[in-house]
Order: sequence, then structure tokens, then C-alpha cells
Amino acid sequence: MNPKTRPVAVVGGNRIPFARSNSAYSKASNQDMLTAALDGLVDRCSLDGERLGEVVGGAVLKHSRDRDLTRESVLGTRLAPETPAYDVQQACGTGLEAAILVANKIALGQIDAGIACGTDTTSDAPIGLNEDLRELLLDANRERSTGGKLKQLARLRPGHVVPAIPRNEEPRTGMSMGEHCALMAAEWGIGRDEQDELAALSHHNLAAAYERGFNADLVTPYLGLERDQNLRPDSTVEKLAKLGPVFGGPDGTMTAANSTPLSDGASAVLLASEEWAAERGLPVLATFAEGQTAAVDHVHKREGLLMAPAYAVARMLDRAGLTLQDFDLYEIHEAFAAQVLCTLRAWEDPVFCRERLGRDEPLGSIDRDKLNVNGGSLAAGHPFAATGGRIVAGLAKALQERGGGRGLISVCAAGGQGVVAILEAPGDGATAKKTTKGGKR
Amino acid sequence: MSDRYSQIVNSLPGRLIAGRVGLPQPTPLERHRPGAPVLAGRALLGAAPGGRLAGPLAKALADAGVETATVDADELRSAAADAGLDAAIFNAGAGGEQRFKALVFDATGIADSTQLVELQRFFHPTVRRLERCGRVVVLGTPPAACSGARERTAQRALEGFTRSLAKEVGRGATVQLVHVAPKAEGELASTLRFLLSPRSAYVSGQVVEIGPPVVKKAPAVDWERPLAGKRALVTGASRGIGAAIAETLRRDGADLVLLDVPALASDLAAVAKALDAETIELDITEEGAPAAIAERLSDGVDVVVHNAGVTRDRTIAKMPEERWSTLMEINLSSEERIDDALLEAGLLRANGRIVCVSSMSGIAGNSGQTNYATSKAGVIGMVEALAGDLAKRGATINAVAPGFIETQMTGQMPIAIREAGRRMNSMSQGGLPVDVAETIAWFASPASTGVNGNVVRVCGQSLLGA
Amino acid sequence: MDQRTLTRPPSILPLYARAAAPLVPGASLLPFVPGRGAEVPDVELTLPDVEPQASAVADYARVCGFAVRATLPPTYPHVLAFPLHMAVMADGRFPFGAVGLVHVENSITVHRPVEIGERLTLRVRPTKVEQHPKGRTFGLVSEAHVAGELVWESLSTMLRRGGGGDGKAEGGERGTGNGREAPAGTAAQWKLGGDLGRRYAAVSGDRNPIHMHALTAKPLGFPRAIAHGMWTKARALAALDGRLPDSYRVEVRFRRPILLPGTVAFASAAGDDGIDFAVRDARKGTPHLDGRVEPLQTKQSKQTSGRKRAK
Repeated sequence: MNPKTRPVAVVGGNRIPFARSNSAYSKASNQDMLTAALDGLVDRCSLDGERLGEVVGGAVLKHSRDRDLTRESVLGTRLAPETPAYDVQQACGTGLEAAILVANKIALGQIDAGIACGTDTTSDAPIGLNEDLRELLLDANRERSTGGKLKQLARLRPGHVVPAIPRNEEPRTGMSMGEHCALMAAEWGIGRDEQDELAALSHHNLAAAYERGFNADLVTPYLGLERDQNLRPDSTVEKLAKLGPVFGGPDGTMTAANSTPLSDGASAVLLASEEWAAERGLPVLATFAEGQTAAVDHVHKREGLLMAPAYAVARMLDRAGLTLQDFDLYEIHEAFAAQVLCTLRAWEDPVFCRERLGRDEPLGSIDRDKLNVNGGSLAAGHPFAATGGRIVAGLAKALQERGGGRGLISVCAAGGQGVVAILEAPGDGATAKKTTKGGKR
Repeated sequence: MSDRYSQIVNSLPGRLIAGRVGLPQPTPLERHRPGAPVLAGRALLGAAPGGRLAGPLAKALADAGVETATVDADELRSAAADAGLDAAIFNAGAGGEQRFKALVFDATGIADSTQLVELQRFFHPTVRRLERCGRVVVLGTPPAACSGARERTAQRALEGFTRSLAKEVGRGATVQLVHVAPKAEGELASTLRFLLSPRSAYVSGQVVEIGPPVVKKAPAVDWERPLAGKRALVTGASRGIGAAIAETLRRDGADLVLLDVPALASDLAAVAKALDAETIELDITEEGAPAAIAERLSDGVDVVVHNAGVTRDRTIAKMPEERWSTLMEINLSSEERIDDALLEAGLLRANGRIVCVSSMSGIAGNSGQTNYATSKAGVIGMVEALAGDLAKRGATINAVAPGFIETQMTGQMPIAIREAGRRMNSMSQGGLPVDVAETIAWFASPASTGVNGNVVRVCGQSLLGA
Repeated sequence: MDQRTLTRPPSILPLYARAAAPLVPGASLLPFVPGRGAEVPDVELTLPDVEPQASAVADYARVCGFAVRATLPPTYPHVLAFPLHMAVMADGRFPFGAVGLVHVENSITVHRPVEIGERLTLRVRPTKVEQHPKGRTFGLVSEAHVAGELVWESLSTMLRRGGGGDGKAEGGERGTGNGREAPAGTAAQWKLGGDLGRRYAAVSGDRNPIHMHALTAKPLGFPRAIAHGMWTKARALAALDGRLPDSYRVEVRFRRPILLPGTVAFASAAGDDGIDFAVRDARKGTPHLDGRVEPLQTKQSKQTSGRKRAK
């Protein structure tokens, strides 16, 4: 076994603009969008006919026909058909988890280059057969004689046509993610104003990023969209304050604006060894320095469903020998404004850090001016599995753009999970201290 | 003994009618059940800046397993972390539907009347979130222990706040002020548990003093059976409140010695049998009684509960001396003699407890009860007089002062007086003997090492003598 | 040349009525019914400002097996031009009625991918009648321009059976029109449903009765409904999705019609200078379609090969 690892470069990224549910991409399937995102990356990084080590991707809401979604998408692109691919799924952490998987193989020398990608559609959502009907049909299929089949089919009832529509609901708690987050917001005392401020800032930051052309080499137009459809550059706290709550009851603080909308989209990011990139004249935007996942017992231990990133980051920092303040940029996925604020509050809180993280001192505060500087999911939208790729590519570019530095990524996921990572770019811009040697244990 | 009024107004039609005509609608009070948690809900912890009890409170709440939220103040969050209290954050501005079973506020940081507004800031957004039979505990510094006039003034002011809030909260909720003397910060546990739990169901509007511990090292306590291995003497134990005291102390693990007059021997025997107790059939006013008791308790005793008492009501104009003296002998003088005998013989064990039963009449006075009220006020005097002495011996003395408690005795009152007694308090109902017994059990607990010289009324914050 | 610019796409149904009218004995004597002329009229129809709708493109892509991309499927402009084809052939001066014509060849040249959102100007004109072994042929040239730039063109060769021709069969059964061997083997099997013609008709607007249902196909000489030739071509290009360069010419010859429902086999062979492909009956190997993709030399080259190759 190879005991050595090598740096993993983030070489480039591409995504299609994210669309609001049942809108611009209502006719596009996951495979369509993923293919489009991949092809854009192929164009951008001149990967025509290239046989990559692997492509790893996935979708959270998948049709049964999308068994090998990523592989099928690869076959529709100009990548060499000899590029292997596999699907992963870790709820909203899918995209970032895919990047960790690819990065690890590159670090170990098992592959030289690979793409991590993700896609999701809430418009072309899989609608399942009514569970009773499904069982009936399976029973009929098991019958050998025509008479037996007919006998089973005679059980058909009008109610059987009611389909099973996938619900955004935690299987073990029966609550939606928004309801869970409302509980967290209450638990952490997160107010309406601060949530609306975060949402408005997200829109302003994303709009500014588009204005200065930041996304020009990160986003490829698709089906008539050139920018994320959810983006409202003129969002203000005052406007957002007028919205009624959608989660947490009539006194709730979570609205349609400070929660991410259902959206459609896909993203892809190219990772490679530094040598591979150099051979092809491709840039190294940043290196993929660390990755970490964590999960909480949201069912039985009174943990917030979306608090796992708070744990994951703490563990990752310990492993890397870093503090929470050793970063130049922070990318915290804005599933809900309240989720971001709960996470920040948790890191500042002596009780959480002592009781849950087992630390004598809190992780502390971050400089909010470094948070989601080019906009977040509240503005861009959040096609579940596509968010990780959006963030990795965007952060890598932002680090390179500022002339180096270190960035933290934190993504919360359903099922009480969290996926986090660290990107680093060398250069003068790296104000935060260097990773301590031997930090990796 | 049944409170039919409460039953009627708590039925659905009764509730509707009572609500319409403005009759008091007593909330059925929650009472302790063995194995139940200290607090059946969440507590919210708040503090005025600069207080000294955040840490001890957090520790006491953590040890008691109380699910707690704190207001979002650095001092409190750090204190909670240090105490191992896994507390959520409450932000009144964040909205939400959070409700609390208890509101606990450390007011020791209030050193000036201008800072009393901290009370308003904490309770204004939270008091409506208090659940049925909720608990409010405000902690302050004994005014006498304050360093300056401004602080003393402000701390004394707290009492007006808690007594008024106790009348506002309603729905079976209680409000207390706890004075925590300097160096007594570590003594909160037993008192906080009592005041938060349903054990203090009928105690409200009280001021409890917690002083430095009377023993150097407080013993570890099994909170389900704090009196395990302890020997307790209860006088007047054959009936009513006395029997309830015996039951409660037994529940808490005590080995009982129950005393009553020979005339009630059969009642006493029945109680003793059920509680696996020894009995002493004795008239405590007899000349040899103290010695006889000391003889029976020659192995020592941990808890002495002076519960025996009688009424011999008559206005002073119609009061013969015999009627006065019999009562005074039973209710006060015999107690003094028994205490003396036990203390002289050194029979009150280390960390011992003397608990007396005073009365609301002893505080407020009552027409036709000059003799009774005198004796019960005397009991208060006895508590005050002996507290210092007993502290030096590593023991404490405290008294309960019951208000209207539903017993056979009150059941025989004329209905007008009985109803007046029941309703003229913040709970709009009478208490139960167990409410008195629970309070006594709190005093008797070996963990109550800082609770000394207190007279705590068990009266539902009666309007009388408040 | 008779150049006419339309302001909106011609509506198809009346065109069908006129296209089918020559089937009625004697009808071609009427002035507005095609079939009287001996030569195709020198006419060009132009339809400016055509903006493909993403949703309609997606529906089309789904039926043909294309991924829904930011660019149009290479066969999609043909669908946009189809009403113009019908309008040209419904011209009273036209020598043949559209119904009964056989689409025998199609060559599409993609000069560059067309983005969804780009406005197209479509031009359609017929080419002269030529003799064919099985009858007479003429071509329909379609062009798509974006802001004056020719981005896409197509030549459809239509055969009118009988009425001329030297009777010599062109090409072998297994050969392509350009003399190349059609690729052997089976790269993929496509199971085609009985409703394919109706599904394609819904997204393409081509509701020729021979594709719709056995009942409507029988009077026109087919035992069952047959697949649209342009669907078969589109499906074949979809199978090559990702393997196609940015600019290329793809020409196909339609051989035997595909009866629906049915199962066909697709095969392709990539060489240095292009990709050959073929669609056959899965069981019997009967050829349905042969084709070839050839990349253009440079993206800028404004080739008019489609027109040149018109016979």
C-alpha cells in the first residue's frame, strides 16, 4: 500500500445557473443537467476525449431509471467513454463528499485526475407508484398463470392511482428539514432580523459576483438562463421582513426568503494532481487540503438535525492543527439562514463547545466579512447535490483571486449529517497561518 | 375534606360558569410522585450582570438533571459550560413558542436600584411562557449581608417584586425569593430542588434564607432517599399533618419514631405499622416526658419534628387560664424542654435537624386564637433563638407555618370560614398535609446544611399576614 | 426567384389538406392544388425571428433521446423548417403533392451549435427535379441563420416513385450512398413503441398519416404505422451524443421504413475522418438507415456541401 500522499489541485469548475423549481429547467432531467455541467467543464478545461481517473457524482432525488446516473451522463459528454464513474448520495453533502472521494484517490496516487459532480431536480422529481399498487403489481408478476395474474389485478382500486410523491421529510422524525431547522433556531435563539440580513447579504454578494464577472468561468448558460434564477439583487431586509413565516408556526422566524427554495441545477469540479494539471497547462486554483464528515443523533439525543457541520469542523480543525480563525474565507452552505447562524453561534458558545464538542474553550467567532463573500445558497438556490461543486469551485477561484489563502467549507445534510473541507491556495494573500506540520494524524 | 368547589369549577360547565361570573378558578396543583424528575419541563436561567450565582445555579441545575436554557449572555454561557450544564439559548427577540416550567433569575448582581430594571428585562418577555404549575425562583443577597446602602436597598426591593409576581402568575405557579448569604453559594442544591419541584406546590411568595453550611462537608445524598439511615422523631404523628409528615420522611428513607398521646394509641399504631416505625405513647407535657424521650432515643436522633399541637380557641376575654396553659404546654413549652433534654444529652446527631410547626396565626394573628398564636409565634422565636447555637453544633432548626391545610380539623369548620380560608390565597385553594410534610422533608434533608433559622409558610401565599 | 418572407410559421393543417388533395382524382386540375407543374417553382420562403422554446426543445429531445442541452439538437432546426417545407410543396405550381413523397436522403450541416435563446432566420427553397432510378427526385434546402451567419443547413431529398427513372438500383443493399460499407454489429437495440409516430408527431408537427396509426397508414400502402425518418436520424445522432464535433455534416439515406412497434439495431464505427452508422431490423438485418458524420475542416468554413451534393 502506498503510504505517501500528494497534494490535490482544484483545477476548474463549472455549473449551470440554478433554476427555481418548475421553471426554466422543468423539462430537464438530472442526467440532462449533469451532462450539461460536465460538458461545460470539458470545454473549459479542454478535456475532449480525455480519459479521466473517474467521475464521481450523484443526485439526492433519483429516478429508478437513473441507476448509474453519473456514468450515463459521462457517456453523453465528450469525455472519453473509457472514463469510469460511480454514483454517491449523502443528501445535501453529496457534492462535497464526491470531491473528498476523488481528492482522496488522487492524494493516494490511485488516479491522477477526476471530476466530482452533482445534480438535482425538484421539477422532474421521481414520483413513485402508490405503495399498495406496487405490491399488487409485484404479486401479479409472481403469479404464473394468466388467471392468477388477473386475480391479483382484480384487487386494483381507484385509490391506487394516487402516486407516492417524494417528500422533504426526515423518515425517523416525520418533520421536514425546515421544521427541524425551526427547532434549531428556537434552541439557539436565532432572531428573524439576523436571518433576513444574512439572506439579503447573500443576494447582494452573489449579484456583485456576477457584476464583476466572477462567475464568468464558473457558470455556463443553460436553457436560456445565464444567472441563477432565484437571485434578487434588490433584496433588502425591509422587503424580506414583510414575508410571513413558513416554518415554526405563526411565531416562526423562517420565511421563504431566508430558507433556500427548491431548485434545479448541476455542478462539476475538476480535481487533479499538480503534475497532471501542469502537463496540460491547467491552473491550480487551490489545493483540497482536508475533508471531514460527521453525524449527530437527531432522533434520540436532542441534537439539531443540521448541526453536524459544527462537529465536523471541530474535528477537522483538530486534525489539521488549525483554529477557526485561521481562515481567509468561509463558505457555509445556506440551507437556511438559521442553520448558518446556529452553526456560528454554536462555535461561539461555551456550553456547546464544552458539552458537545468536549473543548475547554469555544472555537470562537469568525470575521463575518469573510463569510460567503460571493453569495450563498439563499441567493443561488440549492439543487441538493449540486451545491458542493458550486462551493468548491467558487471558493477555489476566490482564493486564487485574492492571491492565496485558506478557506473553510461547511455543508449540512439531511439525516443529521455534515460534510466539511479545507481548501488552500499558496500566495501572498494567505494571511492566516500555515497548516502546522504533522497536523495530519 | 374534599374541596367540592374546586371539583365543580374544574369541570367543564363549572369552568365556563365560574369564568363568566368571575369566581376564582383554582388550578389543580401538581404534586410530587416518586421517581418523577425534579422539574417536568424546561428551566430558563437568567441573571443580572455581575451576579455571583450563575455558576452555582448552573451546577445545581445540571446536577438535578433539569433541562435548561439560558438567556444569551456570555457570563451565563461560560458558567453553564463550566458547570457541565448542556443548556440551550433563549433569545426573547427570536420569537418561537418556547415555554418553560421554571424561570430562575440570579439577582445578586443588582447593586443599585437603577439595576432593578433587570427584573423587568428578564421577566417581561418570559413570564407568559411559564407553564401551568410553573416555578419562579429569584435569588438575591440577604440585605443585611450587603456591603453598601444602595445594594442593601436594591436587594431588599426584590421582596416586593417576588411577592407581587407570585400574585400575578396564577395557574398554580409559585414564586420565591431565595437569599443566598456570602459563602453559602454552594448550598443551593436541596433548596433549589425543593422550590423547583412539585414538592413545593403550596409554597409561594416566600423568602428563604440560605446561609453558610452548618457542617464542613455536606454529605453525598441519594436524592430519592435523602434520609436513608437517618432516625427521625415525629410528635403528634397519629393523624392529619403528623401522619403525612411520617409518611413523607419514611418515603425519603428515614427510620421513624412516632409519638402521640396514649389516647390516640390505636391510630398511632396503625400509622406506625404501615411505616415500619417505632412508637412512643406519651403525653409530652408530663413532667418526665423529656427524659423518657431521651431514654428512648439514647442511640441518638437525626431529625426531630415538633408537630404535636392543639387549638383551644376563645377570645382572651373568655379565656380561662387552664385553657391558655394547656395549649402553651403542648404547643411550645414541652418542645423547649424536649430540645433541651436532647441537646444536653448530646443525642442530636451531627448534621441534625429540628423542625417545628408554627402557624399562619403565629405570624398574622387570629381572632379567638390569642393563646394559639402566642404559642406559634413563640415557636418562631424558638427557631430564631436556637439557630445560632445549633449551627455551632452542626445542626439546624427551621419551622413551617401552614396556612389553610385540608384536614379533619378544617373539615369541621363552618362553611363560610372554611371557604374564606381556602380561597383567600394566591392558589385559590387549600393545601394538603403532604405540602407541609414536603417542606419539612426539605428542612430535614441532610443536604439542607445551609438552611437554618427559616420560617417558611405553606399557605399558597395567603392574604393573611403576608 | 420568387422570394417570400413570412411573418409567422404557416399553419400545418390546411397545408396537409392541400398536400393530400392531389390524391383525389382530377383535383390537380384546380389552380391551387399542387400537381400541375412539370418543374418545381423557383421560390424561397424566409421566416425570420424564430426563437426555439426551451420547453418544446426539451420535449423533442426527450422523444429523440437527446440530452436536454443549452444547444439545439442538430436535427431540431429541421423541425422548425418543416412548416416551410409543407408550404413550398403546397404551392399550386408544384409538380407533386406532398403526400406520397418519400424522404430518401437527408444531409445536415452543423456549422456551429445553436444556443437556445438565439433567434434564427429560416430559409427554405426547393431544388430542381432530377431523374432517379425509382422515379423523380427533388431537394428541399433549409438554412438557419443567426444574425446573418449561416449556422445550420439541411438538404432533404424527396422521391416521387414512378413516372420516370431508368430502373437501375442505386447502391448495394448493405452499402451507403457514398459507397462505404455500413458498420456491422449491434451497438444498441432500440425498442420502438407503437405510439412512437404519434409521440414524434406531437413534438415535430409532422403528422403525416403514415406515421400516426395502422388505420391511417394502410390506405397509403403500409401494413402498420412507420417511424419518421427524421426521428430515426435524430435518434442515431442522439446515440452519438458527446462524440460529435462542434461542426460537422451528417448525411443519411433512408432505406426500408421501420414498422411500428418494432426493435431495431444501431451500429456505429468511428474512423479518423468520421463516424459511419446504421440502423437495421434487429432480427432480420434489413437496412433502415445508413449514415455518416464528417467533421468540417474548420469551424469558420462556410461550406455549402449540402447544396453541392444535391443530385
